[in-house]
Amino acid sequence: MTVGHDPTGTVLLDGVCAVEDAEPLLQMLQANPAATVDWTGCRKLHTAVFQVLLAAGITPVGPCGDPWVAQWLGPKPRQGELG
Amino acid sequence: MSALQEQFVTEARDLIRQATDDLIALERAGTSPERLDGVFRAFHTLKGSAGVVELPAMSMMLHAAEDLLVGVRGGTLRANAEIFDAALACLDQVSHWVDDFEAGGSLPAQAGADGRAMAERLRSFLPAVEARPPAPAGQNVAVGGGDDELSEWATRLLAADRDRIMSRLPEQPSMLTVVSYEPIAGCFYNGDDPLQLMRQIPELLDIEVQPREAFLPLAEIDPYACNLRLRAISAGDRDMIADIFRLVPDQVNIFAMPPGVLVTAPAGAESANQTLIRKVIEAQCELLRVANRGDDFTGCTGAAARVATNALRHGRHLQLAETVARAGALAVAQHDAGPVLATLERVLAELAVERSPGIAPQVGDRSGDMIVDVADRPTERVLRVSETKIEALVNLAGELLVAKNALTHTARRVEQEFGGSDAVRSVQHDRDTLDRLLTELHGTILQLRMVPMTQLFQSFPRLMRDIARQLGKNVALVTRGETTEADKAIVDRLFEPMVHLVRNALDHGVENPVQRRAAGKPEAATITIAAFRVADRLMVEVADDGRGIDPEVIRRKASERRILPAEDLAALPDDRVVDLVFAAGFSTASAVSDISGRGIGMDVVRAAIEQIGGRVSLETRVGVGTTVRLDLPMAIAMSRIMVVETGGQLFGIAMDAVSEALRVTPDRIRRIKNNLGFVLRDRVVPIVSLAERMNLPGGARDATSARLLVVLEAAGRIAALEIDAIRDRLDVVLKPMHGLLAGARGYAGTTLLGNGEVLLVLDMREILP
Repeated sequence: MTVGHDPTGTVLLDGVCAVEDAEPLLQMLQANPAATVDWTGCRKLHTAVFQVLLAAGITPVGPCGDPWVAQWLGPKPRQGELG
Repeated sequence: MSALQEQFVTEARDLIRQATDDLIALERAGTSPERLDGVFRAFHTLKGSAGVVELPAMSMMLHAAEDLLVGVRGGTLRANAEIFDAALACLDQVSHWVDDFEAGGSLPAQAGADGRAMAERLRSFLPAVEARPPAPAGQNVAVGGGDDELSEWATRLLAADRDRIMSRLPEQPSMLTVVSYEPIAGCFYNGDDPLQLMRQIPELLDIEVQPREAFLPLAEIDPYACNLRLRAISAGDRDMIADIFRLVPDQVNIFAMPPGVLVTAPAGAESANQTLIRKVIEAQCELLRVANRGDDFTGCTGAAARVATNALRHGRHLQLAETVARAGALAVAQHDAGPVLATLERVLAELAVERSPGIAPQVGDRSGDMIVDVADRPTERVLRVSETKIEALVNLAGELLVAKNALTHTARRVEQEFGGSDAVRSVQHDRDTLDRLLTELHGTILQLRMVPMTQLFQSFPRLMRDIARQLGKNVALVTRGETTEADKAIVDRLFEPMVHLVRNALDHGVENPVQRRAAGKPEAATITIAAFRVADRLMVEVADDGRGIDPEVIRRKASERRILPAEDLAALPDDRVVDLVFAAGFSTASAVSDISGRGIGMDVVRAAIEQIGGRVSLETRVGVGTTVRLDLPMAIAMSRIMVVETGGQLFGIAMDAVSEALRVTPDRIRRIKNNLGFVLRDRVVPIVSLAERMNLPGGARDATSARLLVVLEAAGRIAALEIDAIRDRLDVVLKPMHGLLAGARGYAGTTLLGNGEVLLVLDMREILP
């Protein structure tokens, strides 16, 4: 399980977030659309998981633990901010 | 086995079938890009899925196959029979492994060695030196202008993120590569991770990930449908980048762009940044106008000049920035804001001039999102439900039907006891409503099990190809009515009989090319498999345009094999003689071959078809061809039975077997050898007493009264069953005999009657003489 909650209710993305993590993440965000998402512990982010964050308009906390994502897609998933 | 692994097994089988079909179609009809793409995608998806469930041997082998297909698609290899053989053999290997994986959760021990051997075989077709094929020819390659919209996007992105990009560039690149990648919606299922591909782009300068279409509300989103457009700009080599995306060429647009845009970026584009710069300078102008009118506000002038200079530097307007800086210094020295204000106004005017040509493409036609080179494929969504769940539903519906029959029974009793009252009418009304709803429910549930014949038919192209090659015959397969739907239980059970029929047609029916030429027929024979509905029956035909069946040959064989006495054979009309091929132990091939003709063909077919309530018939014309027709029920879940009584007991008889019921007066009944019989429309029909068969008391029968007979036809035999009474006619769900009764002969199954009694349904093939 790489998608979980910490005691304060923050959604944690941890370790390798693979394609199958997209659905539990989506369910958590559906249950609480205003949830804080912390992705500093995520070592590798799958596109499907990223897409859920993008669709939910979530700005995760901190730099992403996946360095490539942190550099290119952080600090938050960009949704046409250049347009 | 995990859900993921189960899904892999199901999907892998679909993909293997699809790839096999496409490969055979390609071999027959020549190269078609769509088919080739289909094959390629199937192999690619298989490879990806094998990776997901961690079957490296399978991935490795499929990777080799993929490289081979890339070569074929790119035109560097010419597809020949050997390549098709190898690709099909590879699919066979995958198919075996999928079976092993399903059975034991892993591949056999020698899988690695087998996979390597197959990979070597596949790679042996590739040119020896070529480690990796060049960029596939189908890829969208544009140098220079490329896609207008895309180059505009790239220009915009470059202009906006210029500082960030410039800081990453060690030196001015000679060429930039722009990538726009729109993964298909189902790409996650194929094991694709689009960001993973983007990660591999060398010398990445900038990247943008956007939804392809606006996202649905969170509650309606499918997390496994990819709705992204990924774009990137790189200073890397276009060919290297194309190679990264070589497996998704239909989803990506890659083109080279001159780097000039980086140098002159602001001239070509209006960006949020530019607007900001203009606004910053305008604000400084406003400030200075106020300051100029009133007090000598030197500090204000200096600050305004510095802000404007920084803004211009940020926007890479280095010359303008210098001018403003100089004017600022002069203004501060002279304690006059005027020079700065004048300079800033001139700068604004210059920026406006630069801006106008840049605006043009933006106000032009830019309606919505662009779709780059992505075929418009509506995604078909299928819900997979395990067969056992459907079975459970069918059984439940069957039980409900029984419960309804019980209610009918009760309603009748209530009517007899309290006839005429409102309560009785109400019970009857409710029963009728329940009846209607249940019939509808049952029909709908049975629909769930309806599958198109495609599932059955799609195995045949491969089978035919292999047999035809083996026999040295040239045969084309025509299939018709693949979309005809029938109960899965029927369709599943048709496979074996159909294989027999197709083998027979290929082996015995179709002549070899020399014979066909001599007979003035086209060298390529045609075998047609067709499915269609006639009323509530499903018809499946296997037809060939071969030599037909010669009744004289059949007569000779039948007499050699002592199927019938010689005099009977001689008396039999030709159209009945050909039916003898269905007799047990009959084989028309002179030599038993590997393909068919072990003498177990046609009688096995007939037995299998009759078991599911079907009939087999055959039509043939010498020299023209043979058609075997299977006349089948649409579903086997429901059986219509006749309830008969004999010796005080009730029995069920399948209505399929009943041709008529009649009373026969004793004077029409004759003793023929040891049996009783009577003549019905010029045919002698033997009479069988059900009471005798079942060892039940026959009842006192007076010699003059008429006897009640039900004429039955099954397994090609006819007989009249003598019974005491006909009680009812019911639609029932027939349950096979279980437990201790499983071995009992003579019964087709059981069903519950409305009053809770168990009704034994007779197996006519066992009852008839």
